[in-house]
Amino acid sequence: MKLNALIAFVFLLSSATHRTAIPPVRASVNYDQLKEIIEKNDNKLYVVNFWATWCRPCIEELPHFVEVSSAYENQAPFQMILVSLDKAELLETDVAQMITKLHIDNDVYLLDDNKRMNYWISAVDSTWSGAIPATVFYKNGQKLHFTEGQLTKEELTAIIQQHL
Amino acid sequence: MKKITLLLIAITAVALSAFKLVDSTPKIANTTEDVAPKGYAIGDEASDFNLKNIDDKMVSLANYPNAKGFIITFTCNHCPYAVAYEQRIMDLDAKYASLGYPVIAISPNDPALVPEDGMDEMKKLASTKGYTFPYLLDEKQEVYPLFGATKTPHIFILHKENGKNIVKYIGAIDNNYANPDDVTERYAEDAVNALIAGTDIKVTTTKAIGCSIKDSRNKK
Repeated sequence: MKLNALIAFVFLLSSATHRTAIPPVRASVNYDQLKEIIEKNDNKLYVVNFWATWCRPCIEELPHFVEVSSAYENQAPFQMILVSLDKAELLETDVAQMITKLHIDNDVYLLDDNKRMNYWISAVDSTWSGAIPATVFYKNGQKLHFTEGQLTKEELTAIIQQHL
Repeated sequence: MKKITLLLIAITAVALSAFKLVDSTPKIANTTEDVAPKGYAIGDEASDFNLKNIDDKMVSLANYPNAKGFIITFTCNHCPYAVAYEQRIMDLDAKYASLGYPVIAISPNDPALVPEDGMDEMKKLASTKGYTFPYLLDEKQEVYPLFGATKTPHIFILHKENGKNIVKYIGAIDNNYANPDDVTERYAEDAVNALIAGTDIKVTTTKAIGCSIKDSRNKK
């Protein structure tokens, strides 16, 4: 009887941990699909970082983003989404390798919408020149903050704290 | 009379304080304005510059008395987007230099931060590719902020009007960096064609993703 209870307990525990460990998303999207993902009406703060594997300042700042993200996720209504601007065919090679190298466990979307850049760069923020890195903060479909250029760990934390 | 004056003062005070209240509300949505890039807008006169070319000679716009305008291209060696556009920048010069609109390429990056963008490397690339246009180094990094370039590649098309170089187009070369065979909008060509035809440029500014300009002053 005790053994049965133990087995049941172990089973419950494993199914519970299994449920929380949803593997992060890694997918190609166009801008309209990305918009639906980041502009949700769910009271969550979405931190959306635009990067690419070839962009040095992006790779420099990403470890801070990963660190800050793990400090906030599961503690607050918060989600960090990394948007790669690499070529679509590099998602499973260069992008995947960088995800592993930097221990990224956030959802990563590759924005495969080249020919409409002139539209979606301004749609993300009218002041964005198109240089990366760039980071935008949304809650309930409202844009709260936009930064073109690198963010330090302290700056990123301060913006999150202000808007959580 | 005194009463009216007092009333006016009171009204003014209330109006002023209301104004102040509105003004002091947190400008969350406006924080983006702080990083708005400065530089030329369409219709502005571009200042001339004097920068070192890959042949070690200095180049200015004034060296081109017969030019009708210029295709100023901020580009560099290392950036994958710049690399993707190398051939298309050469094609622009091949097509438009003889029509009075030569390409002038300027590398805006600090070679101390990106060694591949140093003068020796620029010379090598220009020679390998067979660049037909000047490839200048913005050594003091004073020219790119004047234009308001923020990334590579970043194009500024100028038109000479009464001896002044007027900015007519700012942005991308076309709408597909990744695949030149699948370009459906040729922004830079359309702009120069309009200048040649003497018609209005339909799209005067465009945006594209690019590599940020590497400048130690921008490091936080």
